[in-house]
Amino acid sequence: MLEARSLNRAFGSLVVTKDVSFALDKGERRVVLGPNGAGKTTLFNILAGELKPSSGAVLMGGRDITALAVAARARLGLARSYQKNNLFGELTVRENLALAVATARGAAGWIMRDTLSDAGIAEDVRDAALAVGLTEMLDVPVDAVSYGVRRQLEVGIALSTRPSVLLMDEPTSGVGPGMIQAFHQLMHTLPRELTVLIIEHDMDLAFDVADRITVLNYGEVVFEGTPDETRGSPMVREIYLGEWDAHA
Amino acid sequence: MFRQSLLKTLTVLAILAAAIAYTFTTGYFGKELVIEAATLAILAISLDMIAGYGGMISLCHGAIFGVGAYTYAGLTVLFEVNPFLAFAAAIVVSAAFAFAVGAVTARTHGIFFIMATLAFGQMAYVLVFENKALGGDDGLAGVPRLDVSPLGLDFNNSVQFALFAVAAAALSYAAAAWVLRSGFGRTLVGIRVNEARMKAVGLTVWRTKAIAFAISGALAGLGGAIAAQQTMFVSPELMAWMVSGTVLMVVIFGGIGTLVGPIVGAVVWVFLKHEISSATPYWHIVAGTVLIITIVAGGRGLYGQIEYMVERRRLKRLAAAGVPSTATGREDETHA
Ligand SMILES: Nc1ncnc2c1ncn2[C@@H]1O[C@H](COP(=O)(O)OP(=O)(O)OP(=O)(O)O)[C@@H](O)[C@H]1O
Ligand SMILES: [Mg+2]
Repeated sequence: MLEARSLNRAFGSLVVTKDVSFALDKGERRVVLGPNGAGKTTLFNILAGELKPSSGAVLMGGRDITALAVAARARLGLARSYQKNNLFGELTVRENLALAVATARGAAGWIMRDTLSDAGIAEDVRDAALAVGLTEMLDVPVDAVSYGVRRQLEVGIALSTRPSVLLMDEPTSGVGPGMIQAFHQLMHTLPRELTVLIIEHDMDLAFDVADRITVLNYGEVVFEGTPDETRGSPMVREIYLGEWDAHA
Repeated sequence: MFRQSLLKTLTVLAILAAAIAYTFTTGYFGKELVIEAATLAILAISLDMIAGYGGMISLCHGAIFGVGAYTYAGLTVLFEVNPFLAFAAAIVVSAAFAFAVGAVTARTHGIFFIMATLAFGQMAYVLVFENKALGGDDGLAGVPRLDVSPLGLDFNNSVQFALFAVAAAALSYAAAAWVLRSGFGRTLVGIRVNEARMKAVGLTVWRTKAIAFAISGALAGLGGAIAAQQTMFVSPELMAWMVSGTVLMVVIFGGIGTLVGPIVGAVVWVFLKHEISSATPYWHIVAGTVLIITIVAGGRGLYGQIEYMVERRRLKRLAAAGVPSTATGREDETHA
């Protein structure tokens, strides 16, 4: 469903993505692990089209999308959430979701009609809000909500476009155990045919949701396997050192 | 997001009523001021649509206004085209010109966007200035007004023409409000607030920007075609970048991103300018001072400040009635 072929990228002399290849099956849940600065976000930027690779290709559904811009990839069903909140600040939660839903449904250009009062759009907005636990928050301006709520909305926006491939960059970063628990549940309620690539530092969550795990280190794929194989890998254990003992 | 609040409706209706009453009671020069305020208001509404709501600070709206004026004047004076056709053509040509500006500048931001629009405006200015067929720097005289005699009206009658200009301004407001209330209007605001995320959810941003420019340009061209009829004369000065700068000042003075503010700004600006210019030769100093005060006072503008205070009270009332305006979300977060 989503494939990376020998992706490379450097910032100046710093090689951040080095010959990265992997392939996700339809409906697969893949977790990307790797220490800080390993190049995980950069890889997402390349996959989503926000950064051009210096070589290599990105394929979606067998189609080469390397030359496509961000918006064109999104219209093919590729959605992403960001490590750093990337929301519509002064608008309400509902307006945030509605912008994404309307765009995904091709309604962003409606001049004769409002999108917010459209039944189909309202339904998608409600569904997304329900999935990420924001039903009570719909009419609150994003500027007035807590970090945790923003984090939920960050994922909600990506989900609300009804993607076929979803990239999530550390969706639970900076939130407490309660919200991580809620996120576990969300992962299990996602449609089974949705392909998910997720960067996650929380080991329990990673092992819980992953079909397979890819480990990046210094921009390179150093390991790929099932959660069990990952647990048993001395190399991964070494990269993750301290954190490992706490979670194993 | 744009909301046609009660305050907006009341303010527009009050200005409309005042303009009509004033038109019937004032002398010839007063009616000229009404027409000037109405055309400036149209241009300011047009600019606020894309600057206030779309976040695109255009410095070529004077040029778009001029394209409308010149299209109308050129077609009627040089080709003796039916004024109604020329009027429609002025709107279409301005929209097309604005679409091109919007499409070409869509990828630029901040100061580069402003400079790019300025360059477009200057290009249009120079093209007209150097074009002998369009009268060069002499401009074109003898521009006719719309022939409305079949309706039993006469636009050479200054009351009727002033009322026409006021009606055009009211319609411009309604059209802009309609567009901003639509899905398209929301998308435009989305681009201003977070363009990158709009792209990430799949929006072809340049197209939205170009269409917004085209709609805005249609209004600016309408204003230009009315201005050409008012003075029955067009000159390249209509397109000078000073005009673009003045409209931007009017928008900020009245309240950028409020749509009503630009109307308030235009009316106050025109009448203040008239009063001050008749007393002293220092209008520009006064205008500059007024603008600086507006910005230092928070930048919301004359109407914008009032709307801000009214809106804040409304939200407080809602909060008191139990609708959350702030929320803390779940209690187990580690970040503030
Ligand atoms: N635009 C950029 N210009 C220069 N260097 C960059 C840029 N983006 C990322 N880098 C560098 O590339 C390296 C990888 O960054 P990246 O954000 O991809 O890491 P990451 O694996 O997501 O890390 P984290 O776990 O901290 O989020 C880092 O050293 C970072 O400083
Ligand atoms: Mg990262």
